[in-house]
Amino acid sequence: MELEEKVVKTIVERFPSLEEHIKVQRRQRIIIDSLVRKNFEQVFAFLTQEAGFTTFHLIIGVDDGDDLGFVYILSNADNIILMLKQSAPKSNPVIESVCDTFPNALWHERELVDLFGAVVENLPPGPTYPLPDGWPAGNYPLRKEWKVEYFDRETMTYNPPQEDANEEQSTNGGSK
Amino acid sequence: MSKEITIPIGPQHPSLKEPGCFTITLDGEKVVKAVVGVGYNHRGLEKACEARTYIQDLYIIERVCGICSHTHSTAFCQAVEELAGVVIPRRAAYIRVIMAELERLHSHLLWLGIAGHEIGFDTLLMYSWRDREKVLDLLAMLGGNRVNYGINTPGGVRRDLEPQMAEDIKTVLDYIEEQNKYYIHLALSEATLAARLGGIGYLSRDDAIKYGSVGPVSRASGIPDDVRVIDQYAAYDDIPFDAITDDHCDVFGRAVVRVLEIMESIKIIRYALDNMPDSELVAKMPRRIPEGEVISRTEAPRGEDIHYIRANGTDKPDRVHVRAPSEANWHAMAHMLEGDYLADVPIIIAAIDPCYSCTDRAIVLQDSDSGKEKIWDWQGLRQYSIDFYKKRGFDASQIKVAEKKIII
Repeated sequence: MELEEKVVKTIVERFPSLEEHIKVQRRQRIIIDSLVRKNFEQVFAFLTQEAGFTTFHLIIGVDDGDDLGFVYILSNADNIILMLKQSAPKSNPVIESVCDTFPNALWHERELVDLFGAVVENLPPGPTYPLPDGWPAGNYPLRKEWKVEYFDRETMTYNPPQEDANEEQSTNGGSK
Repeated sequence: MSKEITIPIGPQHPSLKEPGCFTITLDGEKVVKAVVGVGYNHRGLEKACEARTYIQDLYIIERVCGICSHTHSTAFCQAVEELAGVVIPRRAAYIRVIMAELERLHSHLLWLGIAGHEIGFDTLLMYSWRDREKVLDLLAMLGGNRVNYGINTPGGVRRDLEPQMAEDIKTVLDYIEEQNKYYIHLALSEATLAARLGGIGYLSRDDAIKYGSVGPVSRASGIPDDVRVIDQYAAYDDIPFDAITDDHCDVFGRAVVRVLEIMESIKIIRYALDNMPDSELVAKMPRRIPEGEVISRTEAPRGEDIHYIRANGTDKPDRVHVRAPSEANWHAMAHMLEGDYLADVPIIIAAIDPCYSCTDRAIVLQDSDSGKEKIWDWQGLRQYSIDFYKKRGFDASQIKVAEKKIII
């Protein structure tokens, strides 16, 4: 795992604070703990512009309770996959689009908007993806608090019991 | 001065019999702008997986795609096994490879037929789909189904491969090899095919990287990105084969890559059958999967298939995400269409071998009439279809059906 260790060393040399937060998971897999937006953007720029991680595969949204997590999967010429993560509070889930660097991030970011309620700044305009037209605003199905059994497909409305509805209102952040 | 017009193609059956909407802006017959619209098949697979156990999820994941179901279940099982720290028995790894390559054979033959159909060469459709049936028979013999074979399980595979099955597979491979030599000859020497496919849907190497294309699409632009080579899994580290690339960068190149890959798949299956070790089929798996998150990759017939699983220490995953190869290949579609003629749009779309359900990810289908679960055997299904058409005035019961023995 010489190549993987070399990548870790390059990243840690530039960002010493990451030393405790980066590890080689196995051959061809490196994972970095979740970062806040400002730090994420610096590390992302370094990885893609200087450290050779020029292939973008996808972004995965995850629900971390009070926060939303965004897992970016990148790889380099040695086919080492790197998982880089950032988190944002559900009350203000704002992240910056990476479409400028990687045009193929477009649909993944639209998916984060539809399914997680992320607010992606500088996302190029276009149709939503993948939820259908008429999907009720403020409903983000991949958030843990959103329960499929409360959704009425006929009327396209979300009808949680009263106590859940109050909770829903307090946890659902940005509007669609 | 010419006037541009914008037309919608789809969402019903744009080139393939699946839903997608292409908004095409034309100047005369030339495409000047294309906007790809998909999402019609999104049915919430990932949410469904979070509410079910890993074993239950396997059955949902296998139904992401009807054509390349094995690659999805392999990627999913690999991720669960990695999280659990389990190494599967070697024989199971070989069986996974054999199923994966048979799946690639039938998928590429399917594509060849569709490509022929899209350019008005329906003889090729008839030939290649006839050959594909024999591969589907093999898959039915090995797994019990023509699609969704149910071979994989976390920890290994569910069924062994008997010696007689290996002989049957080899007989069919000899036949497919001979047929495919003809298709290669056709692809490389038939002037009308080259004229029809050459130069259209152009995607340069730089653009393939920029748009993140995968599989035969990127390999036809000269990028050696075969996951079987660059991120080896199952038993691919044991098996010698060549990763095919081509530098035509167009629909012709994508056809060449696929027909040459058929030969490599045949080579891989033969080697695997001759060198398969004896071992158990399944390693013991814990019911609760330890906390962690992993990325698992496989090479589907259409390219790199990525599965992400985050485990929380229970018997249900916290998050499952699927990035199928078709999803990656759509990004370059608008770029490939722009500058070509309207008449070329169907074959350019078909040339990425798009799978809409893969892109949007599907949930398991249910019986809409009764809501009950029902198991149908082969004869039952056949009888249902005969009765269905009889009601509509066509009696198919007199048609002779080949016995379920492989016949060449």
